[in-house]
Amino acid sequence: MCSPQEAALLRLEEVFSATLARVNSLVFQPLLSAAPEPSEPQSRECLRLLQQLHRSSQQLWEVTEESLHSLRERLRHPDSTGLESLLLLRATDHVLQLHIEYIESYTSCLVVQAFQKLAKRRSEYWRGQRKALRQLLGGMGSEGSVGPALLQAFRQPLTHHVQQYVLLLLRLEDTVPEYHPARELVVNAATLFGNLQSFMSQALDQAMATQALWHTLSSRQRHVLCTPAHRLLQDSEDVPVTVTPLRAERVMLFDDALILLQGHNIHTFDLKLVWVNPGQDRCTFHLLTPEEELSFRTKDPQGQAVWQWKVTQAVCQALRGKKDFPVLGAGLEASEPPACRCGAYTFHAEGRFCQATYEGEWCQGRPHGKGTLKWPDGQNHVGDFRQGLEHGFGIRLLPQASEDRFDCYKCHWREGSMSGYGICEYGTDEVYKGYFQEGLRHGFGVFESALQAARPFRYTGHWEKGQRSGYGIEEDSDRGERYIGMWQADQRHGPGVVVTQAGVCYQGTFHADKMVGPGILLSEDDSLYEGTFTKDLTLMGKGKVTFPNGFTLEGSFGSGAGRGLHTQGVLDTAALPLDPSSTCKRQLGLGAFPVESRWQGVYAPFRDFVGAGCPGDLQEALLGFQVQSSRELRKSQDYLCCERTCPEDSVGTIEDILEELLQHREPKALQEHLRKALSNTLHPLGKLLQTLMRTFQATYAGVGANKHLQELAQEEVKQHAQELWATYRGLLHVALQRKGQAPEEDEDAETRDLQVHGLMLPLVLPSFYSELFTLYLLLHEREDSLYSQGITNLSLFPDTKLLEFLEVQKHLWPLKDLTLTTNQRYSLVRDKCFLSATECLQKIMTTVDPREKLEVLERTYGEIEATVSRVLGQEHKLPMDDLLPLLIYVVSRARIQHLGAEIHLIRDMMNPIHIGGLYDFLLTALESCYEHLQKEDMRLHHFPGHWDSRELW
Amino acid sequence: MAIRELKVCLLGDTGVGKSSIVCRFVQDHFDHNISPTIGASFMTKTVPCGNELHKFLIWDTAGQERFHSLAPMYYRGSAAAVIVYDITKQDSFHTLKKWVKELKEHGPENIVMAIAGNKCDLSDIREVPLKDAKEYAESIGALVVETSAKNAINIEELFQGISRRIPPLDPHENGNSGAIKLGKAGTQASRRCC
Repeated sequence: MCSPQEAALLRLEEVFSATLARVNSLVFQPLLSAAPEPSEPQSRECLRLLQQLHRSSQQLWEVTEESLHSLRERLRHPDSTGLESLLLLRATDHVLQLHIEYIESYTSCLVVQAFQKLAKRRSEYWRGQRKALRQLLGGMGSEGSVGPALLQAFRQPLTHHVQQYVLLLLRLEDTVPEYHPARELVVNAATLFGNLQSFMSQALDQAMATQALWHTLSSRQRHVLCTPAHRLLQDSEDVPVTVTPLRAERVMLFDDALILLQGHNIHTFDLKLVWVNPGQDRCTFHLLTPEEELSFRTKDPQGQAVWQWKVTQAVCQALRGKKDFPVLGAGLEASEPPACRCGAYTFHAEGRFCQATYEGEWCQGRPHGKGTLKWPDGQNHVGDFRQGLEHGFGIRLLPQASEDRFDCYKCHWREGSMSGYGICEYGTDEVYKGYFQEGLRHGFGVFESALQAARPFRYTGHWEKGQRSGYGIEEDSDRGERYIGMWQADQRHGPGVVVTQAGVCYQGTFHADKMVGPGILLSEDDSLYEGTFTKDLTLMGKGKVTFPNGFTLEGSFGSGAGRGLHTQGVLDTAALPLDPSSTCKRQLGLGAFPVESRWQGVYAPFRDFVGAGCPGDLQEALLGFQVQSSRELRKSQDYLCCERTCPEDSVGTIEDILEELLQHREPKALQEHLRKALSNTLHPLGKLLQTLMRTFQATYAGVGANKHLQELAQEEVKQHAQELWATYRGLLHVALQRKGQAPEEDEDAETRDLQVHGLMLPLVLPSFYSELFTLYLLLHEREDSLYSQGITNLSLFPDTKLLEFLEVQKHLWPLKDLTLTTNQRYSLVRDKCFLSATECLQKIMTTVDPREKLEVLERTYGEIEATVSRVLGQEHKLPMDDLLPLLIYVVSRARIQHLGAEIHLIRDMMNPIHIGGLYDFLLTALESCYEHLQKEDMRLHHFPGHWDSRELW
Repeated sequence: MAIRELKVCLLGDTGVGKSSIVCRFVQDHFDHNISPTIGASFMTKTVPCGNELHKFLIWDTAGQERFHSLAPMYYRGSAAAVIVYDITKQDSFHTLKKWVKELKEHGPENIVMAIAGNKCDLSDIREVPLKDAKEYAESIGALVVETSAKNAINIEELFQGISRRIPPLDPHENGNSGAIKLGKAGTQASRRCC
């Protein structure tokens, strides 16, 4: 059964539909046909608004027709078609939405007085239509001008229609039984249309107020402010308010902006970037905007309440991006605007950000979170912000004079300036990778020229306030020179060493990039010049030259008129060559750069990080990041998003690192853990080691592979091991602290040395081994070559002859090991005796760990003793008188290359705890064999064979 | 009780019984830790001395003439040297004098020298009178005893004598004595001159 209300609804829709059709033909068409003058942007705007209203009206008409159709169906077949089939109930939201759109379009027209303006153009015509209009409005139309009549023509049918809707729906609600399935729909529709009434009346009020507002403004102000989207929500004319510090005469709150009028100035504040904060008393409140902090003060608390509430709600509404329904502040969402938002803003105030546009996340009036800053000159910054400043990772692009060139800073920022690790690629193709502080290179960093640069250079070292300062290595590949030493204000200054490709090296004190004054110079032929030097590295004044043969020339030097060195002095040819190796093994740089402070800039950030309790947000600033650094990328303008590996991805956060640390504290697990950590460049320890490796290579590889630097290098490696251990201890300390556990007791010097040499050094040594071993190799080249001659000579000896030659006691000869074929005699067999010991000793070359090398040596001894015991048929303790010849035999047979370099490296890197002990003894024994094999009779003695070995030479 | 490690090197002609003396000394071990040895070439023994323990690290050297030049490697950093001769061989006493001379010139400063006239059980074929040895030792300020490794005569005494001559550890003085405090890194790390 159908209720009478449904029939009434049908009639209502019929009337509304007809009215809309009439309004369309009678009002819309003539208005729209009045094409505006192209020169009048204002009337074009009016026309656009009218067209929009027309579209809304059409849609409204269509939906009314649909509703009408559904009602007719229902009335025709009341039994088969349920109440819920009515469009009005089935798609209430849709119908409602179209009503709202119509109202919005209508009020927009109202605000800019579009009807009046358009009607004016054809006033004659409208005067003729006055009667028809009045008829349309049901005789309620005014007698006066056309404008108001038109206004009514567009509004009145709708108001009336909605009013009737509400009435009928409420009545319908009464007739529908309590548990009817469609009852809820009816209740809902009644409520929504009731709300629509409120919405409509508020929208009309706001529009009327806004329209009225324009008349109170000057024409200039009107020109700026009069836009169809503006709706006045509050005006200081109604509720007075004073604003400091701007001292505005008038304050107007629109639904999208806050406007302050101050003399000729119009200050506009986008509501999306306005934060409302309570004031100290009940008559004030504060507004935060990107560049202003405003205090609003009213006469009384009521006024304050009105303004604060209105502004707050307007901000909420602006952030939601749609009108509150049914009235302002009645939205379903929270009525407090969020502190953090997204938005765009162009800064105007003087300062770094002037003219720059920030787009991104905000908090309390300041850029905060991720965002982009763009300056009009092409400067760009993408990254993290905090409290209005760059903070965290960010990429800054600075355009260079030539258009395609940028300086690109991928960097960590702290309160607006670069701080921590960064990579800067300059437009000149130079690259800096290292640490910054307050926007300048500071601490450790590597600055490198482009590969193809005319004068390629690379500086690896310390910086202070943007200048090279402190210890640093500079490579000048063009001149084949490397400077190792101290810097100040971008110049070589203080103690320094220069090594050159040609082999000349010198050490002294530098001033303004040059070595002047006392110094020493080692020429490639191992001549030593000591004295006072001039800028072009010639001796001047008192000095001494030591020639490789031990002759010395001491006297007064000077560069005469001719070429070469002029001197008056004494040439001492009688002087005993004190130690032929004193010159050729002379070590440079010792004492000039104390090893503890040499690479402070590398250690310090790690120490500071640990000292600060390993703050997670500084993890990346410390450890740096890897970025794809390809020049192509830059051209394609993709520079602003750099793919950087975040430490969190591969090793996890610092929390994970510390947790892991705590779980591996037992010696065995610790060693494995350290090995893993050191090989991971995203782990603090691994990163530190990697950086140290770079500095080591920068110093000692290439041109720096110079025997005079061996001592400098070896003490550095040990220092590095010590620092890495200290860093580990620091991390452990923080890890324990975070768990609330008692920190480990401080180690005493002995325990620390034990850990450094026993645990850390063997783990880090492989990273430095190749450069370090090369230095030992060069330093011991001469001895190694003599030794090499010795073993080559002895290798010609058959086993028995060699044993005899080395005066090994006959009863110790392992003749049983010599398996003979027919026609062979003992005297011809080679490389059979003590084979197990020989093969064991050769393993010394398969490891870099000094301890493992020493263990190899111990096992070699074991093999010798085992062989001897086998020969004698009983356990035999070898005294040195017997052992040394046997050991010489084994060493000569093992034919280890560069044994001298090996021995010295082992000795230098050996745990000092072993000094005087078993390992020291074994190493000394090996060294004495090595020395012995260099002796003349080892190298030159020919074994008295029956066949002449001379043929081989 | 503090343990001090003392490096002691053995010098003397081949066949005078250098290692036999040490073997005898080390044989009745009271060292609870089994210290690794290298045959009879490197041995250790710990003995009490006053309120310290002295751990002797005894380095044997090859006595053959042709290895003489290698000896400095072995005696560097030694706290004491035991120079052994055979009382039945005058030659070995000559060699001893050469060692003393070398140690005076190139050996560690303040090295404690102990002269051992071994094989005193064969005094019937003695070639070196005890008086000569005593006079010589006195002239160089060395300790002297006649020992018999075979019959274990004066072996303990020899090392006790050395112990007594080691200056007690003075915390203010970073021992030039060649003594190495256990585990103490490199205060004594004898860097070669080159």
